[in-house]
Amino acid sequence: MGQVQSQCKDESNQVLILQEVTILSDSHSIPGLILSGFPPEKPKNLNCIVNGAKSMMCQWDPGRETYLETNFTLKSAWATSQFADCRAKRDTPNFCLVEYVPVFFVNLVVWVEAENALGKVTSDHINFDPVDKVKPSSPRNLSVSNSEELSTILKLTWINPSVEDVIRLKYNIHYKTKDASTWSQIPPEDTVSTRSSFTVQDLKPFTEYVFRIRCMKEDGKGYWSDWSEVASGITYEDRPSKAPSFWFKINSSKTLDYRSVQLMWKTLPPFEANGKILDYEVTLTKWKSRLQNYTVNDTNLTVNLTNDRYIATLAARNLVGKSDAAVLTIPARDFQASHPVKDLKAFPKDNKLWVEWTSPSKSVKKYILEWCKLSDTSPCDPDWQQEEGTVHSTYLRGNLKESICYSITVTPVYQNGPGSPESTKAYLKQAAPSKGPTVRTKKVGKNEAVLEWDRLPVDVQNGFIRNYTIFYRSSAGNATVVNVDSSHTEYTLSSLTSDTLYMVRMAAYTDEGGKDGPEFTFTTPKFAQGEIEAIVVPVCLAILLTTLLGVLFCFNKRDLIKKHIWPNVPDPSKSHIAQWSPHAPPRHNFSSKDQMYSDGNFTDVSVVEIEANDKKPFPEDLKSLDLFKKEKNSTEGHSSGIGGSSCMSSSRPSISSNDENESSQNTASTVQYSTVVHSGYRHQVPSVQVFSRSESTQPLLDSEERPEDLQLVDSLDSGDGILPRQQYFKQNCSQPETSPDISHFERSKQVSLGGEEDFVRLKQQQISDHISQSCGSGQMKMFPEVSAVDAFSPGTEGQVERFEPVGMEAVIDEEISKSYLPQTVRQGGYMPQ
Amino acid sequence: MDLRAGDSWGMLACLCTVLWHVPAVPALNRTGDPGPGPSIQKTYDLTRYLEHQLRSLAGTYLNYLGPPFNEPDFNPPRLGAETLPRATVNLEVWRSLNDKLRLTQNYEAYSHLLCYLRGLNRQAATAELRRSLAHFCTSLQGLLGSIAGVMAALGYPLPQPLPGTEPTWAPGPAHSDFLQKMDDFWLLKELQTWLWRSAKDFNRLKKKIQPPAAAVTLHLEAHGF
Repeated sequence: MGQVQSQCKDESNQVLILQEVTILSDSHSIPGLILSGFPPEKPKNLNCIVNGAKSMMCQWDPGRETYLETNFTLKSAWATSQFADCRAKRDTPNFCLVEYVPVFFVNLVVWVEAENALGKVTSDHINFDPVDKVKPSSPRNLSVSNSEELSTILKLTWINPSVEDVIRLKYNIHYKTKDASTWSQIPPEDTVSTRSSFTVQDLKPFTEYVFRIRCMKEDGKGYWSDWSEVASGITYEDRPSKAPSFWFKINSSKTLDYRSVQLMWKTLPPFEANGKILDYEVTLTKWKSRLQNYTVNDTNLTVNLTNDRYIATLAARNLVGKSDAAVLTIPARDFQASHPVKDLKAFPKDNKLWVEWTSPSKSVKKYILEWCKLSDTSPCDPDWQQEEGTVHSTYLRGNLKESICYSITVTPVYQNGPGSPESTKAYLKQAAPSKGPTVRTKKVGKNEAVLEWDRLPVDVQNGFIRNYTIFYRSSAGNATVVNVDSSHTEYTLSSLTSDTLYMVRMAAYTDEGGKDGPEFTFTTPKFAQGEIEAIVVPVCLAILLTTLLGVLFCFNKRDLIKKHIWPNVPDPSKSHIAQWSPHAPPRHNFSSKDQMYSDGNFTDVSVVEIEANDKKPFPEDLKSLDLFKKEKNSTEGHSSGIGGSSCMSSSRPSISSNDENESSQNTASTVQYSTVVHSGYRHQVPSVQVFSRSESTQPLLDSEERPEDLQLVDSLDSGDGILPRQQYFKQNCSQPETSPDISHFERSKQVSLGGEEDFVRLKQQQISDHISQSCGSGQMKMFPEVSAVDAFSPGTEGQVERFEPVGMEAVIDEEISKSYLPQTVRQGGYMPQ
Repeated sequence: MDLRAGDSWGMLACLCTVLWHVPAVPALNRTGDPGPGPSIQKTYDLTRYLEHQLRSLAGTYLNYLGPPFNEPDFNPPRLGAETLPRATVNLEVWRSLNDKLRLTQNYEAYSHLLCYLRGLNRQAATAELRRSLAHFCTSLQGLLGSIAGVMAALGYPLPQPLPGTEPTWAPGPAHSDFLQKMDDFWLLKELQTWLWRSAKDFNRLKKKIQPPAAAVTLHLEAHGF
């Protein structure tokens, strides 16, 4: 077997040893196998630990990896002799468990030898007494017992490890309440000597404590044992150490004589209850009256009290005894609270809501802090707590939530009753609002807009709103941001451009951030308010003025306008054709009529065929004229016949009977104008035009009248023929039913007969009516007058002769002759314009 | 170091050298070398430790021997144990012993007892007992080393074992099993007595060697200057 070693230095100046292993002559060798590695480093940090008094383990730092098979051997020796070697296992080259039981009080020298093919190194020697390296076993069977005499102590007992016989021990005792997370330690100086029991003092009554213990050599050399298993025990009960927090609430009651008072108190926390609270004893004392006792299991009591002042006391009771009594003065109804706390502040700190105040000048027994969640949706349901009269700041011991506004009220309680409450608001932790404000426009002007918004509801504020931010942007894209103080609910945006669409959005900010509200758009008007009015009103006024002037003008020139637009058409009913048409030539003229019209000048003529009376119109006409005269004088025999043939309304016959008053009114409303025919006359009677008005609702029989009219003019002198003419008209449009009209006609006749003066007056009135009606040309005006007079003249003359004085008759005659003359063809007549 | 006569630098260097070596002077170096005190204390503690060990060992072994040896008030006559070193001694004699003699007697006694004990170990039947006995033997050997250390620290020579008197456990044919057990009983009893005595010896020695702190200081001053 041959072995070649070569050494060379690597870059890091460490010796790299290449070992070539060999070349054995027998057949089992692996020819050419080359192993490489490092020589062992000197083991460092050698240390030994004696577990109990039984075994010793030493450990060390084996140094770098050698990549070669390296043996670590722990060697130990006394001054006089050496112990057996302890070879570390391959997989755990850093420690070795010594086989022999170490001997205490004899110094031992220990070292480690590391050896591989490339060399052998020895660690530093350590010299120690194994007793100074002892790690005792942990104390066993730890138990806890309480004492009925003392509620603040617990006695611990345990069994020490066996090594205790050889070495003295000291201890660590840890304890904690059952729910606590951290341990407290009994002062080490109390446990510096070997013992097997310890009494822990100053514990809280009726509290479960957990203990653990460990030990080590008294002089501190060696190691602490592991902790023992925990043991727990409960201290004995004690009477409640404190009176419960005690407060009251006066419920509103309907009656004035009694008050419903709810006394309420808080359960004592376990560290004050010192046991299981069995019940509460409440007493109520009115001034100079008997004590009322209550035993309550609950934490409130509602009693009806008179309006007097009461003293209430409360004591909690457990198995051992009663607490001190909490005393509360319930003031009389008329008590006036005063002396509130000053400078009340509430602020969050360390995830708690702290309340701070300055105490009033008066001596305070205690403070009551009440708080409730402020919300728009739910009512205030207060929780409360009590603080000592010396306290100036505290935190709210309730289940407070973040982003909720709490209303906190502090009430000082004095000897004679509660003082005035003082309130403030606070958040445990603010957040950005959950909703932004909704902005809208209150008024939009040409260059400005008044924005308004509602305050955010408390539920969405999540904090104190510190300010608002208004973001607005025109459609052109000019964005502007304005900060507004939180006290405002409206803001005026100025310098806006007219006739522009604006987008506006608002954000509300708390200390923790903001939240945008919905966007709102508005358009500024093109004109400012009043601008349109300034334009429109004058324009309207101008139009109105113009209209007025126009109207005035029209009014002034109405005659002219009327002439052009609605010429005055004579009312046929007022014409006296009815009277004088009978004067027209009777039937025999028809032949001439045919001749007259043969030239075909009539263009628009309504022709009424006269059927039944065709054969003998003349005699009848003539007769009827006579009859008419007679009729007027005396009876109604003929007139009934005439009336019976009338097709008109009941008023119609009155025309025939010269009841002008009635006829004029009726015809005015019902008459239709017949076509005015004039051309026909040029042939025979140039420059004379006759306008006639039909009594009928049927078209007028101008074509037939014309010749008759001409005849009539001729026959006027004869002074008769009215009746036949009238009859003729009636027959033209006759309707068979005549009887009702007859009676009416007769009645009219009677009326006419009743007063001759009336009759004359009517005639005159009618004439004047005609004059007044005519607003057109003079000719138009005159014609009805003439015709009317003409129409009446024959009858009138007769009548006047008989019934009227001569003077009157003369006047009428004059009038007739005067008015009649122009119409005569011989004198030239009138030419219509 | 190069010293030349008349060289002031040499004189200074010499003085420096002397001062340099002052801490090396044994008498002045008491604080660095604890002396025999701690080792006497340790020896004392060891005797107590061995006492404690022996109590349990003896109980186990006497039970192993069986009645009547394991009875508390069993007190047999000392018949075949004459060779065992006697721990009991007249109080006056014990008081008159000097440290050297006291330590020598202890050393010699434990040397013998250890040899007997090893014989006992070979006879032990159970592994547990053998292990306890082996540990006790080791501890006793440690005590011997401890005593030797103290003696060396105090400058006393170790007693040379007399040739031929090398104590060996050689059970004679005359010894019956009961007498053998009797010898074992006495061995353990004598061991116990010796440990009690040693505890007293070393306590006395400890008090003697470890004077009050003030005396140590004076001693230092006397030796130093």
